[in-house]
Amino acid sequence: MKIGAIAGVRARQNLGWVWVSLVIGFIYAPILVVIGASVDPGHYVMNRAYLQFPPQGFTLYWYFHVAPALWRSVLVSVELASAVTVGAVLLGVPAALGLLRGQFPGRNAVAALFRTPLQIPFIVTGVAFLQTFNTVAAASGIALQASFTGLCIAHLFVATPYVVGAAGSALARLSPRLDEAALSLGASRWRTFRRVTLPLITPAVFGGAMFAFLVSFTDVTIALFLTPEDGVTFPVWVYGSIQNDLETSMPAVSSMVFLASGLMIVLLQRLIGMETVLRGGGAKG
Amino acid sequence: MSRTHGNRVFRWGLLTIPPALFCGGLLLFTQLVFLQASFHADEGLGVMTSRFTWANYLEVWHDPDYLESLGLTLRLAGVVVGATLIMAWPAAYLLSRSSPRVAMVVVAAIIAASFVTLPIKTLGMVILFSADGPLMRLLQDLHLISARYRFVGSFFAVAVGYAHLAISFMVTMLFSVFQSIPRRLEEAAAIHGATRLRVLWRVVLPLSLPGTVSATLVLFNLLTGAFVSAALLGGGKVLTVSLLIQRSLILFNEYGMAATLAVVLLLIVLLVNIASVLLVARLTPASQVIA
Repeated sequence: MKIGAIAGVRARQNLGWVWVSLVIGFIYAPILVVIGASVDPGHYVMNRAYLQFPPQGFTLYWYFHVAPALWRSVLVSVELASAVTVGAVLLGVPAALGLLRGQFPGRNAVAALFRTPLQIPFIVTGVAFLQTFNTVAAASGIALQASFTGLCIAHLFVATPYVVGAAGSALARLSPRLDEAALSLGASRWRTFRRVTLPLITPAVFGGAMFAFLVSFTDVTIALFLTPEDGVTFPVWVYGSIQNDLETSMPAVSSMVFLASGLMIVLLQRLIGMETVLRGGGAKG
Repeated sequence: MSRTHGNRVFRWGLLTIPPALFCGGLLLFTQLVFLQASFHADEGLGVMTSRFTWANYLEVWHDPDYLESLGLTLRLAGVVVGATLIMAWPAAYLLSRSSPRVAMVVVAAIIAASFVTLPIKTLGMVILFSADGPLMRLLQDLHLISARYRFVGSFFAVAVGYAHLAISFMVTMLFSVFQSIPRRLEEAAAIHGATRLRVLWRVVLPLSLPGTVSATLVLFNLLTGAFVSAALLGGGKVLTVSLLIQRSLILFNEYGMAATLAVVLLLIVLLVNIASVLLVARLTPASQVIA
């Protein structure tokens, strides 16, 4: 911008960057503390290790001595979030296609229906699903409460709106002329969808899918009510560990999970570009 | 030709039916079940009377503790959403107007941070603010806090925890709002002699208002139902509705009461949402807010 040459603007911009750094610092402070604590050798009080920050030394011991139950919870969470993501895409993409391309009465109401789960506080969703699963079990004997499937269903309920929103906004931006061009050149309807529409909305779908994964992977509030005792999710495990008996390998596992998420995002960014990711999951509430 | 056209329109619409049935069915069924549960009194051990009663609602209405908890929940969510908005708005705007490369790195870092589940961040905060930790000792030496100050168990602690839940979402959502506002509009205003502040006030602010409001509402809803920070950082002293709901379920097996509190919370949240949308609709076309 030309007006950027004025000195006052420069000063204001620097102030702005200080502001951005403060926000980033705020976001990252607790994460850095946990990463720092993860390499602390730990001091022993009554035969139990306690971790400190700043670390009093450096060791990768905890990274190689992770409590087996903790590992299992990480695997459960990865499985759960993956299943939820796949389900949310399978539900969300067709829903968005129908909403954006179909013409039927009550279209706005159906669109609103797909946004509603995000307007309900998570604690309410958790309670509602717990009581529903109890009712279902009492009526039919199908035990969804405290099961992987039940938790999956509840998470699908809150994750699908992200994919619908992402795919929907991508479809809304798509020019109908592209389809018309393919059709008029003799492509079949299916081929047009396969080769024109789908590739164009795929990046946005990936973005929505990432948010679906994120919601399921980090949720405590819903999972706390629905998690199976023998297959506790990672966030619920961490929550319980902080409330009861702090597991010393937890900061190490948390750091590894954070690192893996970071790598995944870099990969996603390389593959599809962050801009699409954001446009997809962003302001759609 | 018109027949094919009608055919195509029909077919696309069909795709929505299965997902809509799934989501709509779940929505209707779960909400009905727990709405119904709220009209039955608890008899202990998770058993409810079969009689229809308003008793739970009357209890909430007459018990100052419940009302106080509702007030606290809304205040907490309101204060934190406001504070997060103040932090995130300028940062997101600046990022959206900086070079795409820098912006993407920063935003990616923020998203990566949101993959860290809240209990872990909470653990970080507990360590950071522990009474014998370096930060607290520094603050004590500077006489900014008394030696007796305890972070855990304060309203402030829960608010900081809530803010961590909200801020990454706020920045990413506002970032995408600002990205959708063409930069040329600001340049045009500047060329016509508007000062930087005036551009922000008269161009950026109005154009970003619908997106900002919708982001604020999404996070307000999220925070009213948030639970982890209140449980781990509240030290049993900051009793939000979410905590009361969890307690009546897990500790007391009072399904009716838990459902009632959830219904009341849901109704209040819906009212706040409707009121805000109506308020903004007076300022901007409603379609933009809702869409």
